Amino acid sequence: MLPEQPVNMAGVVFRRWARALSNGNRSGISAFLLGNRAASGMTKDSLPGSYPKTPEERAAAAKKYNIRVEDYEPYPDRGEGFGDYPKLPERSQSERDPWYQWDHPDLRRNWGEPMHWDFDAYIRNRVDTSPSPVSWSSMSKQLFGFIGFMLLMFYLGEKFPSYQPVAPKQYPYNDLYLERGGDPDKQPEEVKHYEI
Amino acid sequence: MADYREAPLASRPKSLDPNEYFNLSSDFRRAEEDRAAIRANLKRQYQLQLNNPLRKELIEDPALTQWVYARTNPYPHFRPTYKTSLLGAVFGVVPLFVMYYIFKTDRDRKEEQIKAGTFKRPFSLSS
Repeated sequence: MLPEQPVNMAGVVFRRWARALSNGNRSGISAFLLGNRAASGMTKDSLPGSYPKTPEERAAAAKKYNIRVEDYEPYPDRGEGFGDYPKLPERSQSERDPWYQWDHPDLRRNWGEPMHWDFDAYIRNRVDTSPSPVSWSSMSKQLFGFIGFMLLMFYLGEKFPSYQPVAPKQYPYNDLYLERGGDPDKQPEEVKHYEI
Repeated sequence: MADYREAPLASRPKSLDPNEYFNLSSDFRRAEEDRAAIRANLKRQYQLQLNNPLRKELIEDPALTQWVYARTNPYPHFRPTYKTSLLGAVFGVVPLFVMYYIFKTDRDRKEEQIKAGTFKRPFSLSS
């Protein structure tokens, strides 16, 4: 947007409304009600379009997105819905310089800078592509090696349990003959829990 | 660290980037200067609007508008190719049938067990 002189906002809205009524090919009441007012100050050709085929289209698209013509690289045209949107490096916002004076410091982004297609995934709270302290393969090997080893050991522990030998509990007084309601006059059979 | 290998989610640290030390060609420098010029121009536009004492409205970011527009209107640029129709089938159609099949067989098996009286309630606290 160019730097503007002070404008009377109500006047602008009224002018746009009047122009819409005269432009639109709807008739009568529907034109009055629906109107033709744009939600932003952007024109149709400053919005993303279809894949650029000629060098002039590429140059125009690069200018539209504020990128150098040599740097501009659209997504390959495979019908996946990208159009002429530029293919920016797959780097998250957490990789950007934390000490530079960004216009939007929490997003580490300047005003007018082209946003990555997956910008909302690459914000600092989400996916982080910054360099890791050790290489990725080494980290993967350590993590999955440890997890795999623990799983293996727990499985083997289930298969081959090893514990202190146990036996059924031994009760005194002939297996608690009287406490279990045995006849006090009768002589119970002897219960021996030992061997000599 | 000499064997640091990059990965999709782990970029190369700046101190290990050979460009930092060996790339001194004037083409590279000129490219950097062009990029800096574009950046400075955008900064200037933003600062002028930001510090304008007579501004009453929000500063509109055209890059943001373009991004939102591109993300919400991919349909005109969609074309059915092998890849896109395969993706659509794998993520949109196959899960319906697969999940129907899985749930149906699981439920039927549970029903059989209940009818036969062999069903063991998981996490049952009352037994």
